[in-house]
Amino acid sequence: MTEMNAPPQPTIVELIKVSKNYPPDVIALADVSLTVETGEMFFLIGKSGAGKTTLLKLICNMETPSNGLIEVAGQNIHRLKGKKLARLRQKIGVAYQDFKLLTDRTVAENIAISMEVSYKKPPVISKRVKDLLAQLELSDKHDAITGELSRGEQQRVTLARAVANSPTLILVDEPTGNLDAATTEKVMNLLNKCKSSGATIIIATHDDSLYRHTDHRIMELCRGKIRRVNGGLQA
Amino acid sequence: MNFWFAVLRQMGRNLRQTWASQCMTLLTVSLSVLIFAFFYLIYTNMLNAGDKLGDDLRLIVYLQDEPGPEMQEQLRRKITDFDQVQEIKFISRAQAYERFAKQLGQNKDVLEDMPTDFLPPSIEVTPLKTLRSLNRVKLFSEYLSKLPVTLKVQYGQDWVERFFYFIRLLSIVVILSGSLLILTTVFMVAYTIRLTIMGRQAELELLRLVGATNDYIRTPFMLEGLMQGFFGSTFGLVSLYSLYQWIKIRFSGPGILYLFNFTFFTPDTIVLIIIASILLCTVGSYMSMQKFLRI
Repeated sequence: MTEMNAPPQPTIVELIKVSKNYPPDVIALADVSLTVETGEMFFLIGKSGAGKTTLLKLICNMETPSNGLIEVAGQNIHRLKGKKLARLRQKIGVAYQDFKLLTDRTVAENIAISMEVSYKKPPVISKRVKDLLAQLELSDKHDAITGELSRGEQQRVTLARAVANSPTLILVDEPTGNLDAATTEKVMNLLNKCKSSGATIIIATHDDSLYRHTDHRIMELCRGKIRRVNGGLQA
Repeated sequence: MNFWFAVLRQMGRNLRQTWASQCMTLLTVSLSVLIFAFFYLIYTNMLNAGDKLGDDLRLIVYLQDEPGPEMQEQLRRKITDFDQVQEIKFISRAQAYERFAKQLGQNKDVLEDMPTDFLPPSIEVTPLKTLRSLNRVKLFSEYLSKLPVTLKVQYGQDWVERFFYFIRLLSIVVILSGSLLILTTVFMVAYTIRLTIMGRQAELELLRLVGATNDYIRTPFMLEGLMQGFFGSTFGLVSLYSLYQWIKIRFSGPGILYLFNFTFFTPDTIVLIIIASILLCTVGSYMSMQKFLRI
């Protein structure tokens, strides 16, 4: 089996006829097939309830598919267990739509958590945290309790945590939902920087300002099905 | 940063955030160990006292008449026919009188008007240490009482029987209290850890999502269990020792404690209790974490 720290593969995410049903009869995704290349920035668009978040959850193994195959870095992520799964997850950074922040901890602690599990040294963690906070204009919030921040600030902390451990795959769910135009640009700059350093980025969004003028691939979902794919695989 | 540094830091955080429930668990473990160790201490001392009593145990066979040398030999043979004994000692009427006078000490004048042969002759039979169970002593006593020259057999029946029954009752109490307290300790520790887990469900879930291994998540909780076991049992034993010292000082002098030579646990027993407590608490933590990690 291929590990993510092995030589990079051309394909980082592969979905073949993936479906996800919720009881009693909700079809969140139906026969979705998709390939994302290493180092690519990929936009997943569609209205609320189209299945964007479900797709991201399936890729990071937060949910299991009802049918189909999902491979991340050449490994069937839903067959991985224990240390192998943990190691793979360390290389996947996820900015969740519901943030999943520890609201009683400081901003710095929230960002550091993804690096602590990889046993990064405290000075390295501290430097990286400060660096990310500066890039997202949150330097003054270093020791603030996360629960006391605004939604927009919390969203940026989530993003900082997702990219902190320099993952090779970054999944971002609605990264700019609570942000103004200037902050949105900073967030996109950070994601572009991650892409430049070799990370693959999948962004689920319904904010068309993010992808309107992009030359990256875009896939539109509608009621769990692929409606169109721009610039790559055709549905 | 290595694994142990990360784990210890995580444990420090856990302790800071859940110190109140940790203190309650510590108190429960201490009390459980204290109660169990208290009964166990009494039990071991009673066993020692039983041994001591066994050392002094002898059957006195009062005889109708003073046996001559030939009769003594016959009786000796009859006694050893039943079982081997440690010692057989014939006490004549005169020797019995002398002993009695000696026991009376300053009050021996009361014997002045008494004839020197008013006490019956007797045989003191000291059974072998290996044969000193209550039933065996009873059988031996019955056998001796059936000898044709026997007047009466005495070995402090009532006292010995009550003492042995008390020890039996105490061993049941120790076994029952021990089992119940072991269960209490395991469940208390397991539930405290489970409460902590439920209170920190979001954090643990996040740790899994960002790639923490099961060992990274589990080890701090197991270390907490280990610490609770160690400190809980140590506090329990220290409390028991304080109680023991207080009782020793308060009831020093010629009393029941003096009679029984009341002693505290040996260092080996103390270490054993602490290790057992650590194991129980760690197992409690492990059980809780396994349930969470399986979800």
